[in-house]
Amino acid sequence: MGFKFDQPLYSLSDEQEQKEILALWESEKHGGLWEGNNRLPFPLTFLIALVILTAFMITMPIWGQRPTAQDFANHVKLMDSPEVQRLATPEEKMKYVANAAYQMADNRTKGNLERHPITWDDLLNIAPQIKEIQAGKGKYPLDNYTVLGDRIVLANFEGNMRPDGLRERKQPWWDIGFTIDVFYVSYFILTVFLIVKRLPHFSRKPDMSKAS
Amino acid sequence: MLLKYLFAKNDEIPPGSATIFFGFSSIFWFVVGTGLGSFNAAKLAFPDWVTGTEMFAFGHMRQVHVLAVILGWISMAFGMTMMYMTPALGNTKLWSEKLGLWTVFLWNIGLSLGLLLLWLGFTSGREYNDLIWPIDLVVICGVLLPLGINVWMTIAHRKTQGIYITNWFFGACIFMVIVVFVVGQSPELFGLTGLTEAYLTFWFAHNVLGLWITPVAAAIAYYTIPKLTGNPLYSHRIAHLHFWAIIAFYSTPASHHLMSAPLPEWLKSFASVEGVLILIPAIAFVANILLTMKGKWSMFVENVETKFSITGVLLAIPLNMQGGFQQTRAINWYVHGTGWIVAHAHLALLGMSSFLEAAAVYFGLQQMLRRKLYSLTLANLHYWFFLVGFCIYWISMTIAGLIQGAGKIYEVPYIDVVVAEHPYMIARWVGGTMVFTGNVVWLYNMWMTAREGTLVPAGKYAHELAYER
Repeated sequence: MGFKFDQPLYSLSDEQEQKEILALWESEKHGGLWEGNNRLPFPLTFLIALVILTAFMITMPIWGQRPTAQDFANHVKLMDSPEVQRLATPEEKMKYVANAAYQMADNRTKGNLERHPITWDDLLNIAPQIKEIQAGKGKYPLDNYTVLGDRIVLANFEGNMRPDGLRERKQPWWDIGFTIDVFYVSYFILTVFLIVKRLPHFSRKPDMSKAS
Repeated sequence: MLLKYLFAKNDEIPPGSATIFFGFSSIFWFVVGTGLGSFNAAKLAFPDWVTGTEMFAFGHMRQVHVLAVILGWISMAFGMTMMYMTPALGNTKLWSEKLGLWTVFLWNIGLSLGLLLLWLGFTSGREYNDLIWPIDLVVICGVLLPLGINVWMTIAHRKTQGIYITNWFFGACIFMVIVVFVVGQSPELFGLTGLTEAYLTFWFAHNVLGLWITPVAAAIAYYTIPKLTGNPLYSHRIAHLHFWAIIAFYSTPASHHLMSAPLPEWLKSFASVEGVLILIPAIAFVANILLTMKGKWSMFVENVETKFSITGVLLAIPLNMQGGFQQTRAINWYVHGTGWIVAHAHLALLGMSSFLEAAAVYFGLQQMLRRKLYSLTLANLHYWFFLVGFCIYWISMTIAGLIQGAGKIYEVPYIDVVVAEHPYMIARWVGGTMVFTGNVVWLYNMWMTAREGTLVPAGKYAHELAYER
């Protein structure tokens, strides 16, 4: 069972071994069944490459990130303004605050605000918590906190180590999970390549007329 | 007859006996499982129907339905196919027909006991792993291990040097599902709670689906389609890609079921990428089977087993497209915890997997009984009731899930969501009841096949004979 590497894309088995594999292949049927030696059609090879690329692109945290406390800082700033105080109902107040905060937000925050609308009641509950963090009572800046309904909690991310020994809790665009995946997928491709290329080249079709 | 053979010598038991008992047991449990499903769906569509009795509450009945289908119908159909495909593919006979019969006997007893206890309220309380651990021990030692020993020993005693792809899957999947069942008991045995329990619960649930229910169904298609069409399997090398991609990418993404839980985000990122990569084995499987059909597509219309089989293969496409993408952060926040997921689970179990198994049970029972199907009309009626009923269920629950998702995100009052969903709950009940009705017809048809089906001459396959009636 020797490997040969002079034409790795053709076959990793030497000529003798390819003949032996093909001879075995042609000598037996499995309950009357046998398998062809066809390659994966090229469009499907392309599709698999596309799937691998898509798997990384679509799962980036940016596409599913949770709202941070920073996203609602402008809401908190606006809710005590005279314009809002003049409005009669919570619905009117919330509509005004949401529109004004949306205009002030950058593009990334706008996406988050669209996906995670907030009620006036929840805003009333998170406002003191945001103010407390802004007042420097937390060890982390606002964007290290996640908004869960009416609560502000420390985000569940493990980012870079800060000079004070704590880890950043800000959502990264790339985390260690993706690094593990890069290695995992690479090993998979290498393993399947080694297994498949040990077979006779796909141009060699087994002649099953002799099989029993 | 089963009791007579249980104590007979192995050589005195007619070959195929275990297959036949497994086959009829699986259809029986399919009728029970879908009947319970129809009953449960009626409770959601008509909330005033059968109330006041604790045992008939939805919370008691739901898991009985789920496990009757998974451990009764699907797993017994797997047992049936393993009993006849494994020896056939090794050009040998089953290692122990007697062990096969004992397995099907203990399986029926253990499952009946387990479901009864579950119905009475004895439960671990963990979804898909609801049985209490002593019953799971029976499943492992009395069912899966004996089945595995029979399959592994039959493969070891094969008369071919190579091992056909179907037998790779059979041998590997039984080993993996035993590991999954053993590890899956750890929350109960070691008193694990909180996030660890949640993770292990979905590690179990994900792997029962990914390393048992879908890959064994795919392995069955690798046998039935070449056997029915007479074509060789399109590619041995694509089968390699399918098998190793299942091992690599289906065993790892359990935490994508818990994207909203406070698990480490890196673990979710890892699992989510693997979740999309589930499309790789799906592409390999579907391509291999559809290319095997070359020149024989007329059989998709003319032959009932091929019809069931190819429908299952085609349903693998939406199944994996949904499964691959619905678990990403971008989509999961919307559909998590809604009827969309219920629709997806039924697409996997009732759609892709069940259609493939039904084809194999139709084919295998005719072969082992050496009798041609009693009525092609009833078989076609079964197919169309099954397909139309399933589609009604799947589409209605998908729409209901999108409504629930919108209601969840925009904080619509819960009762308004319930009202909006009501028509889809009725549609769900209609669809499920159609599947149940089709299965009753199937049981009758197979029973009559055993009694009155035309005898198949030696050297012929049932599907090669013309109908006499």
